[in-house]
Amino acid sequence: MDGTIWAKMHGATVHFPIALVLCSWALDASGLLFPDAGLRRGLHAAGYWTILLGAAGTVPAVVSGLVMTKGVLLGHDALRLHHLFAWPAFALIVALAAWRSASQGFATRRALCGYLAVAAVAGVLVAAAGYWGGEMLLAK
Amino acid sequence: MASLDMPLISIRPWKRWTASLLAAGLALGSAYGLSAGLRREVARSSHQQATPEAWLEAPTPTSPEWVAQGRKLFLASCAHCHGADATGDEGPDLHNVAVSDRYISNIITHGIKHEMPSFAKKLGAPEIARLTAYVRSLEGQE
Repeated sequence: MDGTIWAKMHGATVHFPIALVLCSWALDASGLLFPDAGLRRGLHAAGYWTILLGAAGTVPAVVSGLVMTKGVLLGHDALRLHHLFAWPAFALIVALAAWRSASQGFATRRALCGYLAVAAVAGVLVAAAGYWGGEMLLAK
Repeated sequence: MASLDMPLISIRPWKRWTASLLAAGLALGSAYGLSAGLRREVARSSHQQATPEAWLEAPTPTSPEWVAQGRKLFLASCAHCHGADATGDEGPDLHNVAVSDRYISNIITHGIKHEMPSFAKKLGAPEIARLTAYVRSLEGQE
């Protein structure tokens, strides 16, 4: 079997949760701004499903990453920095998806603003984890 | 308080928080469990395939003093990853490594990319020779 298969799998899977989490935040944030009720509902529904799909997408990304590194949770150098952002991002994304799921689509505006603030933190963590992941690939 | 466009039903906030915390804990716990299993498997198997030169190169001469000095160096530089008893923690178990002294020395000197740092700047050739003697002394121990 190709020895780099898990590295390729990690590269193939990791971009879905990154994109979906960031899109989910943008959709929910947009939903707070528009006056039209139908449009708001649609944007929040899209935000709901994209965070659920994003959280589901973290599973293959995490599993392929762990298998690729032979179970290393932190590691050294760029890998350590990647993990220091990736693990909190993983926990936050799953927690956010669980919160949305437990809310069953019903939440006050204030609660959703709090949710968006935490989701923004998750987005920053995901972006930082992606940056250090890229550094590992590009570092000579 | 203004709500979103959907009707508000009674979902207690603590239920959402509990669900979030449980889900995050379960996710991290599962990742930790998978990691521990993988590391255990790697530690068990990584040194059981002898490198070819191990059959051709005789172990370098050593002494109890070198082993004792190597143990001190090990505790100072290696134990936080390989465990104080060298049975592995974040790094693999170092008992019964089926590789040559040259291989051990190279790994200590150059490290393994993204897995183990290089000790070329921290340790000189005499220290690496003593560390190698200590790792070699673990053969046959459980």
